Amino acid sequence: MTQTVRTQAIPRADRGPTDDLDAGRTVSPADIRERLWHFFISMRTGLALMLGLAVLGLIGTLLVQAPEGLKSDPQAYPAWLESLRPRYGGWTGVLDALGLFSIFSSIWFRGIVMLLTTSVLACSVNRAPHLWKQAVHPRTNMSETFFAHAPLSASIAAPTHPDAALAEIQAAFRARHFRTIVKGDGDTIHLYADRFRWGPFGTVIAHLSLIFILAGALIGTAWGFRNTGLAVPVGSRVDVGYGTGLSIEAKSFTDSYYPNGSPSDFTSDLVLYRDGAQIDAATIRVNQPLRAGDVTVYQSFYGAAAAMKVADPTGTVVFERGVPLEWTSSDGKHRVGQIILPDVGLTAYVIGAASGEVDPQIKPGQMGIEVYTSGSEGSPIATGVISQGQPAKIAGLDFTFVRERQFTGLIVARDPGAVFVWIGASLLVFGISLVFFFPSRRAWALIRRRPGGSSIQVGAVVRHDVSFEADFKRLVDELKLALTGPSAI
Amino acid sequence: MFKMSEYSFIAGVISVGLALGCYVIAFVAARVMRQRTALAGVGTGGGTIGVDRRGGVNLGAYGTLLVYLALAFLTASLVFRTIATGHGPFANMYEFSIAFAWGTLAMYAYFERRYHERALGLVALPIALALLLYAMTIPATIDPLVPALQNNLLLSVHVAVAVVAYGTFSVAFAAAILYLVRGEDGRRGLPSRELLDEISYKAVVIGFPFLTLTIVLGAVWAEVAWGTYWSWDPKETASLVTWLIYGSYLHARVVRGWRGERAASLLLLGFAATLFTYFGNLFFGGLHSYSGLNNQ
Repeated sequence: MTQTVRTQAIPRADRGPTDDLDAGRTVSPADIRERLWHFFISMRTGLALMLGLAVLGLIGTLLVQAPEGLKSDPQAYPAWLESLRPRYGGWTGVLDALGLFSIFSSIWFRGIVMLLTTSVLACSVNRAPHLWKQAVHPRTNMSETFFAHAPLSASIAAPTHPDAALAEIQAAFRARHFRTIVKGDGDTIHLYADRFRWGPFGTVIAHLSLIFILAGALIGTAWGFRNTGLAVPVGSRVDVGYGTGLSIEAKSFTDSYYPNGSPSDFTSDLVLYRDGAQIDAATIRVNQPLRAGDVTVYQSFYGAAAAMKVADPTGTVVFERGVPLEWTSSDGKHRVGQIILPDVGLTAYVIGAASGEVDPQIKPGQMGIEVYTSGSEGSPIATGVISQGQPAKIAGLDFTFVRERQFTGLIVARDPGAVFVWIGASLLVFGISLVFFFPSRRAWALIRRRPGGSSIQVGAVVRHDVSFEADFKRLVDELKLALTGPSAI
Repeated sequence: MFKMSEYSFIAGVISVGLALGCYVIAFVAARVMRQRTALAGVGTGGGTIGVDRRGGVNLGAYGTLLVYLALAFLTASLVFRTIATGHGPFANMYEFSIAFAWGTLAMYAYFERRYHERALGLVALPIALALLLYAMTIPATIDPLVPALQNNLLLSVHVAVAVVAYGTFSVAFAAAILYLVRGEDGRRGLPSRELLDEISYKAVVIGFPFLTLTIVLGAVWAEVAWGTYWSWDPKETASLVTWLIYGSYLHARVVRGWRGERAASLLLLGFAATLFTYFGNLFFGGLHSYSGLNNQ
């Protein structure tokens, strides 16, 4: 980042008097490779891509973004779009077609990220050997011309022997924690001094760390899972799924509030089972998830649940656990939960009044029941309203609303890519700090024997480094004082 | 403690206001004096604010003293507030605005010490003052922390690091504004373009690693509290946009055709993004809605 990288003009195969289109030039694969390479190592390309990404990010903060996973829902997504229509009007369809409502998975975003990644890789590959050479085999011998043109330079005529002058210069650089390399003999001595020579590698580390982070994100998407809506009724056990063999039981859920009514704490007492055997138990809260191996369980939301019991005509209980009323009806007046009864091929919906809503049909202490044939849409095969503790026959089954409960809403996630993200993030901070807080500094000196003493030239290449400039001037003053005495200044 | 915090805050606001007054008067006086000497046919070099060659009161130096005083008052205010609330003073817009102003002042003071250019204060101090006046419009009541914010370590570190980053970006912005206002041939009394360019760059060089760290720590916290290190929450995204703009600036400075005014314009854009990130939670909702302004 601190070095100039210039794009070189690409040599054209030929340049006839006609325009480029009918020149009939042949472009060899090597030529294309060359052009691509120069495109990707160009800092201009990188700049354009970064700013392009910033523009997409800005759109992403200004436009409402579709919630995770909604786009793949053929029913919910159009409904969601419809809800935006009052806001964006006729533009809704256009914005949707352009993918701007899920901009971070749009082709634009992915395309720019891909191009930027390629550019970052190409730049790193392009720069690393040069930096390595500079750090390990720096150019030690500089000519007269260098000192004549260096941004920082000074000449000193000293009445001392070159070796004595060298010792003085070396001491001055070492006092500033510079490494010195000396080449040459008694008559012409080249000195090279540098500090923080590994600093520039920070750019390579920082750039490659971005690829690490991206790889982590891709690994997480490909091999991880994330269920943001696992509702576990208190007193019930729910399977996590995703091939984990895990199930979670909620022993209790507590929501506490401050006197002013704002929430103070949400806690769930959970027991975790793998293949039926208990493997962990913990109280989780926001900011305090439960980590079990590679799976993490987070406190996320909560709501009302109904403890339900369903028995078939023979009296066999086919369902007995809490049903989280996790959905809200489209009019906002009801909360709805689902019971799937695979043995009898039926699906039942449990319907309660939303908090603060009064429904003359479903009174407090009652639940509405609608039974459908599983997999079929249309009207229910049977409906009914049941009171707490009183079994009622609906669609040939005995439904019992045992009692009201709460459910705790959990996020359950496994992210095998996260470790790469954290390594990448650490490297990013490390790399950036290395470049900026340990700026590499380099200086050269040329000492030559002259009649009656030696001529000394000191020079440094510097850009935007006022503290080094000041330090260089001090160093030159010190050298003048030490080598020629106070009168020379 | 709460009262002490309030008093220190008010004293801090007054100090910043007075400091700004000193700078403005010193700057204008220096210009007037330069015009007079120019009329008299005596050429002078570009003097800096507060260098009163005719003796008398050195207003610029008093301004600097007032900046230090303001910093001391605001530091005290934040410390008292921390003691009163039991957590870092970064949990709502009131606390964070004072912290942002503090960061701006602290970074300004650092750069003034290093480069001796009080002209920066002509832009940096109004930013700090505006933030403080904004804080004055917000009720200072102490509300308890909602569950998501109950992570004292991450709350303190994540936001403290952000304060440093934002403060340096204010200074970079100040230098960029002066750079653009000054123009090619230069207005009298403003530092040289090279120096302003360097101040901007040095400020970003400090700010960018801190912004990176802010985002990384935010990701760590998000993983603990929200179940994922990145969820394209508007504030997250806005901080990424800010990061990309300052990243672009760092690259732009070494590309021909992007140096100078274009790079300075990127800094204006970057600071706009910083403010957008900062004030964003007031209008774009999302998970970072802790402003403390919409608690019913």
